Amino acid sequence: MSKIQIKNVTKRYGDVTALDHVSFSFKSGKIYGFLGRNGAGKSTLINIIANRIFPDEGAVFIDGLPARENMDVHEKIFCMSEADLYDTGMKVRDHFKWTGRFYDSFDVEKAFRIAEEFGLDTGKRFKALSKGYQSIFKLTIALALNVPYVIFDEPVLGLDANHREMFYSLLLKEFEENERTLIIATHLIEEVANIIEEVVLIDNGRVLLQESTEELLETGYCVSGFAKDVDAYCLGKNVIGTDELGSLKLAYICGEKTEIPQGSSLQITAMNLQKLFVKLTGKAVDGNAVAGNAVAEKGDMKL
Amino acid sequence: MKKLKAAIQYECLTSVKYVWLFYLIQYAAVALITVIVMLSVNTTEEVGTNCLEFNTLIYVGILGGLGAKEDFRMLIQNGFTRRCIFLAAASMFAFICGVMALVDTAVGQILHLVFPAYSSVFGALYGYENVFANWIWLFCFYMLVCSLLYLAVLAINKAGKTISICLGVGLGAAVLVIVALFRYVVPGETAAKIAEAAAAAMGYLSDGTVNRVFPVLTMLVLAALSGAGAYAVLRRTEL
Repeated sequence: MSKIQIKNVTKRYGDVTALDHVSFSFKSGKIYGFLGRNGAGKSTLINIIANRIFPDEGAVFIDGLPARENMDVHEKIFCMSEADLYDTGMKVRDHFKWTGRFYDSFDVEKAFRIAEEFGLDTGKRFKALSKGYQSIFKLTIALALNVPYVIFDEPVLGLDANHREMFYSLLLKEFEENERTLIIATHLIEEVANIIEEVVLIDNGRVLLQESTEELLETGYCVSGFAKDVDAYCLGKNVIGTDELGSLKLAYICGEKTEIPQGSSLQITAMNLQKLFVKLTGKAVDGNAVAGNAVAEKGDMKL
Repeated sequence: MKKLKAAIQYECLTSVKYVWLFYLIQYAAVALITVIVMLSVNTTEEVGTNCLEFNTLIYVGILGGLGAKEDFRMLIQNGFTRRCIFLAAASMFAFICGVMALVDTAVGQILHLVFPAYSSVFGALYGYENVFANWIWLFCFYMLVCSLLYLAVLAINKAGKTISICLGVGLGAAVLVIVALFRYVVPGETAAKIAEAAAAAMGYLSDGTVNRVFPVLTMLVLAALSGAGAYAVLRRTEL
């Protein structure tokens, strides 16, 4: 029962279907990477989970409770938005004070501590903060909230490398101290690749796959060598993309590895998460990948 | 209930601080006008202005509009439901309108006492005898304006720019048609009865007496209708 369950959710904006009968779950006690290209439907789904917009069909349940217009889920979930929804004229410290009144599980002292670590001036008004510090303010609130499900929508937007590192380290520390579900929606895939335990990949309003990062990286690999050898090796395999340079070819494959023929010029290398993401979503855009396979379940990547 | 209380506190405390600033600026301007009038006309009976309540109307109108946009975003970010947001906004409107009606009633009565030439809105319409009737009338009047503006901004936000402009044009046309209907189509007797009913709703009875309860009830009903309309729109409002 401890999960965010998305059941058959569809959302349309005029002729555009932002989400198309999406069904999957974010289980309790995991760090998720919620990945997708621009306009894939990530923010739409996050906004539906956070009761900011309504689905045309389907529903979202948090620990079995409907997420739509339900104050019973208030202490269960928090969504750090990419959009600036806060009172821009209010000082940071006042925001902390009010968040403390809104949420029983908000640790005001911890918020001030995190703000200090980041060098966030709590005497400043929200609108006076730079874009990076506005993001820091929002993620400070999210990190100081001890709710079972926290969604970060583009949490490191505008943050410099040092602050991004600080955020990831704080996030892991938080998770170690208090295991809960952290969902990170981001474009910076390589940065979160070492943090996330499970990946949910969404594209064109459909879930392409949901799998553990480890298994996903094990399943994807690259084969390089002379084009004719690569083509021969790829026969019958799930090739998600290729790159060519002269007579050399690089194929990106998902599925079980088979032995390289003896004396062959071929080389097998691991594929990183970003490359896998690019190839999978690129293939989906090409229109030959997702039909009939809205969700590729764990260990069954039929794209 | 605890969550709702926090939302109401947020709405009230973040809005009330500007009320004092508003009055400070307003009465500084009134004091300046009075001094200028005193020096120019050489009289101590003129304030140089009347019906200060209209300034408050503008303020509560802005408050109604802002409640629909800024506060909605802030509270939805903090996980509140639309029902909670509506109740918090309605409570804030009641609180601010109550406080401002109290200040305006007291100021109106005192100004009229000190400067007999000064007229407050309520005093001009219903006299200065009943202070409580003055307060409750102003309170209902401000609540009505708040609710109407809240409804209007929510509806514009929901309908979008093009539809809102069309609705505005349609509303303007409807007013013209109604006026024309009253002048040329509706029989004189019927029009007179409608006018009589409208006057009675505002407390002016056909026998020449004034009833101070009717306008309060009329404005309460209209404010409740606007509020119900606003809630109906808010329930469907998306970020």
